[in-house]
Amino acid sequence: MPTIPILMPQLGESIAEATMVRVLALPGTIVEANQDIFEVETNKATMGIIAPAAGVMGQVHAQVGSSYAVGANLATFEVSHEDYLVLGFGETKPETGPTQVAASNGGSKDGVHFAVNDADTIYQRQPTVEPVVGGLPVPAGAAGASYISPRMRARMAELGLNAADLAGVAGTGAGGRVTVEDFEQFLRSLEQHRMTPASPMRMAVADAMRRSCTRPLATVGASVVLDPMLAHRKRANPKPGPALYAIRALAIALSENTAMAGRLVGTRIVHPQAIDIGFAVEVDDGVLVPTLREVDKTPLATIVDRYNKLVDQARNRRLPKDSSRPGIATVTNFGTFGIVWATPIPLPEQNLVLGLGAGTKSPVWSDEVNQFIPVTMAELTLSFDHRILDGGGAGRLLARVGQLLQQPEKL
Amino acid sequence: MVLARTLEEKLAHLYRAGGRLVGGVYLGKGQEAYSAAMGVQLQKGKDAFGPFIRDQAARLLFGESILDVFRTYFGSVLGPMRARDGNVHRGRPKEGMPAMISHIGSMVGVITGMLFSRRLQGTLGDAVGAVTLGEGGTSTGAFHEGLNLAAVEKLPLIVAVTNNQYSYSTPNNRQFACKHLVDRAIGYGVDGYSVDGTDLAASLVVFRKAVQRAREGHGPQLIVGSLLRLTGHGEHDDSSYIPDALRQSAMGRDCMKVADAFVQEHGWASPAEVEGWRADYRLQIEAAVSQVMKEPGPDPFKESWRALSSATLTEGQWEA
Amino acid sequence: MSLTYLEAIREAQYEALRSDPSVFIYGQDVGQFGGAFKATKNLSKEFPGRVFDSPISEDAMVGMAIGAAIEGSRPIIEMQFADFSTVGFNQIVNQAATMYWRTNTSCPITIRLPSGGTAGSGPFHSQSMEAIYAHYPGLVIVTPATVEDAYWMLLESIQLDDPVIFCEHKFLYYHLKAESLGDKELPIGKARIARPGRHATVVAYSAMVHEAIRAAEELQQDGYQIEVVDLRSVKPIDTDTILASVARTGRLLCVGEAFPWGGVTAEVIARVTAEGFHLLDAPPQRLNSKDTPIPYHVNLWKAHRPTVASIIDSLRSLLRY
Repeated sequence: MPTIPILMPQLGESIAEATMVRVLALPGTIVEANQDIFEVETNKATMGIIAPAAGVMGQVHAQVGSSYAVGANLATFEVSHEDYLVLGFGETKPETGPTQVAASNGGSKDGVHFAVNDADTIYQRQPTVEPVVGGLPVPAGAAGASYISPRMRARMAELGLNAADLAGVAGTGAGGRVTVEDFEQFLRSLEQHRMTPASPMRMAVADAMRRSCTRPLATVGASVVLDPMLAHRKRANPKPGPALYAIRALAIALSENTAMAGRLVGTRIVHPQAIDIGFAVEVDDGVLVPTLREVDKTPLATIVDRYNKLVDQARNRRLPKDSSRPGIATVTNFGTFGIVWATPIPLPEQNLVLGLGAGTKSPVWSDEVNQFIPVTMAELTLSFDHRILDGGGAGRLLARVGQLLQQPEKL
Repeated sequence: MVLARTLEEKLAHLYRAGGRLVGGVYLGKGQEAYSAAMGVQLQKGKDAFGPFIRDQAARLLFGESILDVFRTYFGSVLGPMRARDGNVHRGRPKEGMPAMISHIGSMVGVITGMLFSRRLQGTLGDAVGAVTLGEGGTSTGAFHEGLNLAAVEKLPLIVAVTNNQYSYSTPNNRQFACKHLVDRAIGYGVDGYSVDGTDLAASLVVFRKAVQRAREGHGPQLIVGSLLRLTGHGEHDDSSYIPDALRQSAMGRDCMKVADAFVQEHGWASPAEVEGWRADYRLQIEAAVSQVMKEPGPDPFKESWRALSSATLTEGQWEA
Repeated sequence: MSLTYLEAIREAQYEALRSDPSVFIYGQDVGQFGGAFKATKNLSKEFPGRVFDSPISEDAMVGMAIGAAIEGSRPIIEMQFADFSTVGFNQIVNQAATMYWRTNTSCPITIRLPSGGTAGSGPFHSQSMEAIYAHYPGLVIVTPATVEDAYWMLLESIQLDDPVIFCEHKFLYYHLKAESLGDKELPIGKARIARPGRHATVVAYSAMVHEAIRAAEELQQDGYQIEVVDLRSVKPIDTDTILASVARTGRLLCVGEAFPWGGVTAEVIARVTAEGFHLLDAPPQRLNSKDTPIPYHVNLWKAHRPTVASIIDSLRSLLRY
C-alpha cells in the first residue's frame, strides 16, 4: 500500500512550530479519516493533528517532548491507492536533488556560447524556500518623540547618557522628537545652571535603578501590627533592629516558597540557591546593600551582631568584597526617615524588595472589648517583578510576613 | 600556416580535455592561407594590426609568440593580458597589435586612429594598418563608421574580410543583401577586391598588391576572401547547421591541402620537409604548453585592482 | 576681462593645443565653424591641422581617438551633445575604459559632453550622462560648475593619462561669467565647499550647484545656514569632504539633474550612510529629475528637473525632521 508523510500543519497565524505532546495512534494502529492521531502544543494552545484519510499508522518519526517546525515530517501513514491519488501524491515530483550542469566540452548540440569549462562549478538547484519563521517587527514610524537618530545615539554614548536622561529635553523635531540641535542646546543651557559633580555612588545607584526599571514592577501593601515586635525588642539584649525582624520573617516566608524569589532569564526561571537577604543602609549620597547569608537557617538572636557589624561597615564604606552569590531579596526600613509607605525599586539582580514604613499609633476597633484600642500600625510594601509574581502571590507573601511578625519570639 | 594549424590543433585538444583552459576557444581552421597571405606582408614595429578571432596565422607572422597564445588561454599571470582577459582577446598595443574587444567592427576605428596619430606626428612613413573580421562583422555600425571615417581621412587601412559563409550559425543570406559583399567598397569610396580564400597563391597576390598600394599612400581598401569555416564557431559548437553540399564543394576544401599541393608542384619543399616543420612545431608547442602549465595564475590578493592609471585618483576603499 | 564658462573651455583648449603638440580636437563642426556652441571658435585657424571636422560617427570617433592615444596622441573628442555619446558608448566603456586594466597601456583621451537641459532642448539634447559612465571602472568623470573649474579641470583632464568624460553644462555656457580664471585651486578628485553652513548639507554638481546656492540664500532669511558642497568630479567622489560637511550639519540632501534611478545622488547617499551613519540626525534625502524622458515644453521642463523651489521644499522637510 502506498504511504504518505504526515506533516506538521500550519496551526495558526504566526505559529512556526509546535511540541509533540502525545502520540494517539501508535505504529500499526488502524485509523479512520479525521481521527486525532497526535496531540501537539503551540505557545497558544494544545491542538490535535488528524489523519487526512483512513489508513494505518506507520513509522512515527517525531518524538514526544520535541519541537517541530511547520511542514516537518512527523510520521509515515499507509493509505489506499485511491486516497493516495485523491490527496495529490500521484504526480511525479520535481527533482529537488543536486543536478550537475556538466562543463559543456566538445561539440554539444545545445552548447552555450560562453561554455564554462571550469569543472569546479557544481550547480545545485535548491527547492524554493518559503519563510516559515516570522521576521523582525517593522517599526511603525521612525519619527516622533521617542525616535533617537543615529547621531543622537552616538553623541549620547559619547557622554554616557541614556534615553531616560533626555526625558526633560524639549524636542523641536518632527513629532516632538529631540534633535541633535535640541540636545546640544540643552547641554549648553545646562552650563548656565549651578552644577555639582555626581559621585560614583550616585552614578552607581542611578545605573542600577535605571536598569531595574526596565522590568514591569508593581507594589502591594498591607498593614501590620507592630506591638508584638516592639515588645519583644524591648526585652531583647542585644536589641535587633526593626529591619532584622522583617528580614527573618521574609526569609522564612520565602523558604516556604522559593519560586517567588526566582529570576526570569529568557524563558527559564532561575531558582535561588540559598535564602540570602540584603538590607538597605543609607550612606553618603547613596545606598549600600549588605547581605546576610542563609537567613532562613539562622535564628534572630544569632544574627544581631553580624547585622550590626555589617551596618557599621556599610556606613564606613568598609564592606568586605563579597564575591559570593548576590542576595535574593532586600529589606528597606525607610520608616526611620518617617516614611509611611513607599514603592521601593528592587535591585536589578533581584525580584523583591520589602519596605517597612514608620509605625503610627492608630485606633483599631476591637470586637473583644467593643471599643477602639490603640495599636501601633505600620505599612509593609512589597515591590516585585510582575513577570514572575502576580498580585495574588505577592499578597500572600506579605500576609505571611505579617503573620510571622506577630510571633517575634519564634523568629 | 603549418604552425597555426598545429597550434590550434593543440588548443582544440586542450579544450576537449577539459583541463585548465579557462573560457572558450575559437579556431581559424580553414582560414590559414588567407590569414597568412596578409600576415606575411605586415611588419611588426612598423605596421598596425587589429586581428579578430581566426587570425592565428597572421598573428604568428606579425610576431606574436607561441607563449603569448597559450599564456592567454591558460590565464597565466605572465601573459600579455595578465589573466585579466583571455583567449583571442590578446595583444600588445604599444607593439602595434591592440587586444581586441568582443564587439565586432570596433577595431576598425582603433587601427584607423593609430594611423591618424602617426600621420599627425609625421611618423607614418610607409606604414599600413590592417584589420580583419568576418562577413558578419561588416553588418555592424562600428565597421561602417570606422571604414567611412578611414576613407574620409584617406588613411592606408586594409580591411580584410573573411567570408566563411556562416556567422556562427547565420548564413550569408541573413547577414547581407548585396550580391557580392565586396560591392560595399563602392559605397565607401574605397577599392575592393575579392579572392578565393582557400587558395594561398591567389591570396598572396591580392594582399601583396594591396599592401604595396597602401604603403604608397593609398586610402582604405576592402578585401573579401571567400572560404568555408572548417570548424565550429567555437570549440563548443559542432556547426551541424553547415550543409554537407557546401562542405563537399570547392569552397569547402582545406586550404592546407591546397597549399601543400601547390608547394609540392613548385618544388619549394618536399613532403618530408613539411612533415619536419610540423614535427618541429609540435615540439615547440608542447614545450610552450608544458612551460605555461607550470606558471601561476593571478593571485586575487596580490592584484592591484586598480582600473585607472592615475594612482592618485583611485579611491582607497576600492582597492583590495 | 570677464569671460563665460564657454569661453573658459575654449581658452583651455587653446592652451592645451599651444603647449602640447600631441593634443588634437576631433568632433562635428569643430573646425572652421568653431563648433555648435563655438567652443572651438578660431582654434582651427590658430592651430591648422590640429582641429578636425568629423563625420557623424561617434563610435568611430572614439575608436579612432583610442587608437591615436595608443600611438601617443592626446585627443579631445567633442560630442555635439552628450545625448549622442550613446552611439559611441561601446567604445567608451568597453575599449577605452578597459584598455589600461587589460593591457597596461593607458588611454589618455578626453571626451567633452555638452550636457544638461536648457529650455526647449527636449529629450535628446538635454541629458546628463555622468551616472552611466561613472558606473564603468576605468573612467574619470568631471562636472565643472564654475568658470574657473571649466578651465582648470579641462586642462587637467587632457593631461591625465586616463579617459576623462568632461561633462560641461550647456546652460552655464553663456549664463555663467567670471572676472578671471584665477589660479588652479583644487585638483580633480577634490570637492569644494561652495557655501559654508551648519544646519544642513546640500551636495550638488554642475548647474545644480547654483540652484542649491540660491535655495540656500533664500533659506538664510528664515535663519537657516545651508552648506553647499560642489562635487566637481563625480568619479572619483570626494567622500571625505562630504563626510566632514555632514559631521558639521547632521543633515544631507543630494541634488542632481539626472534621472532618479541610481546615479550620483544614490552613490553619495550610499557612502554617507555606510561610513557616516552616526553623523546623521535625519534620513539622507535626494532630489533628482522625474523618472521620465526630458520634456520639450518649458512648463514641463521646469517641473521635470530640480529647481530652487523644489530644493527649498526638500530642504525644509529635511530641516523639520
